[in-house]
Amino acid sequence: MSVYAYDQIDRDMLADRAAEFRGQVTRRLAGDLSEDQFKPLRLMNGLYLQLHAYMLRVAIPYGALDGRQLRALAEISREFDKGYGHFTTRTNIQFHWIRLKDAPDILDRLAAVDLHAIQTSGNCIRNVTADPYAGATAEEVDDPRVWSEAIRQWSTFHPEFTYLPRKFKIAVTGSAKDRTAARSHDIGLKLTRNRDGQLGFEVMVGGGMGRTPYLGPTIREFLPARSLLSYLTAILRVYNRLGRRDNIYKARIKILVAATGAEDFGRQVEAEWAALDQAAIDLPDLELARIRTAFGVVPFEALPARSTAFEAARAADPAFARFARNNLAPHKRPGYAIVNISLKAPGETPGDATAEQMEAVAGLAERYGQDDIRVTHAQNLVLPHVKLDDLPVVFAELQRHGLATPNLDLVTDIIACPGLDYCALANARAIPIAQDIARRFETPDRAEAIGELKIKISGCINACGHHHVGHIGILGVDKKGEEFYQLSLGGSGAEDASLAAILGPALPADQVAPAVEALVDAYLGLRSDASERFLDTYRRLGPAPFKEAVYADADQA
Amino acid sequence: MTLQALTANRLLDGEVVFWSGDAWVEQFADARLYDAEAPAEAALASAKGLATVLIDPYLIAVTDDGAAPVSFRERIRALGPSDHLDLGKQAQGGAAIAAIQHAHGAARSTGRLSLIRRKP
Amino acid sequence: MPTLIRLEDGAFVEAADPFTAVADDMPVPAEGAVVLPLARFEAEGAGLLDEGRPVGVLLQPDEAVEGLAYDLPRLALVALAFPKFRDGRAYSSAALLRSRLGFAGEIRAVGDVLREQARDMARCGFDAFVPSDGSGAADWTAAAGRYRHVYQTAADHRAPAFVERESE
Repeated sequence: MSVYAYDQIDRDMLADRAAEFRGQVTRRLAGDLSEDQFKPLRLMNGLYLQLHAYMLRVAIPYGALDGRQLRALAEISREFDKGYGHFTTRTNIQFHWIRLKDAPDILDRLAAVDLHAIQTSGNCIRNVTADPYAGATAEEVDDPRVWSEAIRQWSTFHPEFTYLPRKFKIAVTGSAKDRTAARSHDIGLKLTRNRDGQLGFEVMVGGGMGRTPYLGPTIREFLPARSLLSYLTAILRVYNRLGRRDNIYKARIKILVAATGAEDFGRQVEAEWAALDQAAIDLPDLELARIRTAFGVVPFEALPARSTAFEAARAADPAFARFARNNLAPHKRPGYAIVNISLKAPGETPGDATAEQMEAVAGLAERYGQDDIRVTHAQNLVLPHVKLDDLPVVFAELQRHGLATPNLDLVTDIIACPGLDYCALANARAIPIAQDIARRFETPDRAEAIGELKIKISGCINACGHHHVGHIGILGVDKKGEEFYQLSLGGSGAEDASLAAILGPALPADQVAPAVEALVDAYLGLRSDASERFLDTYRRLGPAPFKEAVYADADQA
Repeated sequence: MTLQALTANRLLDGEVVFWSGDAWVEQFADARLYDAEAPAEAALASAKGLATVLIDPYLIAVTDDGAAPVSFRERIRALGPSDHLDLGKQAQGGAAIAAIQHAHGAARSTGRLSLIRRKP
Repeated sequence: MPTLIRLEDGAFVEAADPFTAVADDMPVPAEGAVVLPLARFEAEGAGLLDEGRPVGVLLQPDEAVEGLAYDLPRLALVALAFPKFRDGRAYSSAALLRSRLGFAGEIRAVGDVLREQARDMARCGFDAFVPSDGSGAADWTAAAGRYRHVYQTAADHRAPAFVERESE
């Protein structure tokens, strides 16, 4: 057991939803529902019409899967799609070639493994983002999955919050090191303990990407953990009542918080919270304990901190040593490691996995990883609990499936939305730009010498590629039917969150990768030493030398 | 006027389709090209009545030689995604597909290109 | 004549509507039950109530229910407008009327009111509906009854999953 174990109530919920959607599809195909009436219904089930076909966005609750679920996703991709899926920056998976007539069957197949597409679109509370290292990292104060599951249940079909002014995204991080981009969410929750040792949350509200990016300010330093759902109810109620509905670009809570001021907004939330019947909303301790128990207990073995097999492989195989250097993170238990599986092989589509790759990862999780798989907002996968002793064989298996790219957080670990290759909203393609850049830096030595560098690419202002918080952010724009790209520098989605600033005029597609190379070359010449990241150098020196590197000849041209 | 074609997505499977003059077809090369406003609008109007067959029919601009849609977005719809050349309409290959793939865009020379000269 | 559907003892039933909805520019009928827009109610409501007539108030989504707190005990109904079904403010209004202001009279959904909203509306405390999609009581019964469980506490006092689990 690794994911939250559904009980009959949870299963009935999915079955009822799938049955409802089947009826709606039947009514649409029979002409009893117009497209205008049907569209919001299909969107509430994650079914979009994209450029080439329908797209189904399946929720991966707080990014956690077991092998059985990942195998089911692989099967769906093979049977109903074209043999691959795309993991998104919201830790969901999208299938790009879905037929409407198959969608009800797919929902049934998902429900059979406790998965669904509920609230993966629409102006409602979306899938929660949580730390992909949950339950595995020594950094965490508490396991964010327990609280994320509580939020999942509370937010599922919430009768009051299904027609919000705009979509609503919540992130939960269990540790100070933020792998969720908490401050870029509508609500960011950071687990913490107060001076008395009591468990609670720091509550940040009003972050977001899109057209007007904001980092969410903290409105409460410490919220007792057991009051989480009533406090969320208060925030959502204030937002539902007061958020703007006259302009879709000003409807997110970030605009309300910015216009009201974080302090005033916080006061309104506190007043609403004080007036709520909190006891009726907050989960009883017994239910919280039940949820915690339903995740099971990982049967860790008592192991020495040092593994001879691991050390021997590292000494013998430089490729393994490189993988170990870049893709492993320390585990809370001696003798274990957190394994990051990069879906960013240079030349491939960021975040894509084939059915075979999904099955390979499922198999590895089942055999060597406590049947536990995580999806990260950087569009990679994680095996959170792998024994050091097993790493050489896990690595070999990953290599066999093209999944051993040793580039976590390096220049080739690029986030990209599907862009104009698939998405009906996009203005420009994102994938080919990512491929261009990755190919330029595909020599692993070079990428490693550059160090941590997070490039994030969005194909339109909606910013699904998180370009606002990229060390280098790239935004595709449409100029008279042509694709152009705006570069921004200095963003971060981690605990040192910041928004990137536009560097200069937009570039045509074929100039983007050369410009990134120029930025990297400039950085290598400017950094104080190899430990200073690109982001740090930019923060130390500002944009001038980087602007110079990209637009050097502008005056002479 | 510029040439136009009528396109939509098919309700049942979302496939991109074009109006050939007597059927909804999957390849842009088989689309009827309209060089006059009235018949194009008439075709659009009747397509809008096919609510259980189509979603969102609309007219698109086509290059003067009739080889490709003008906009980048419509070319991708007529071809498929550029990260999977084996998928979508482009998979069948041939001269008509190649013509869309190699069609020139609108003005690329906004002048800015020359500003971005790279140092040797 | 638009259909009025009432939720009575858990059942959706079609009912005759004794109320006349008075538009902004319309004179108040000489007798009978009326529903007034908020501004009209503020101007004319007291007199009508004194006559002993059943009076309701129509609130737009940006009109706070708290403003009615003083008059609520005398009101026969509060109608909450949905200018578009996507405008979800009235769900909060209904929830507040029931759970904070203790309103026990009729809460009526008017405007862009679709059967797909049946469950959410009923859960937030609505108990009367004027559908705009031609649906009838049978459609509302089907739509509202589609789910066997709920996850959260709401104005309808259905036992949420965590309470159901406790009693297992």
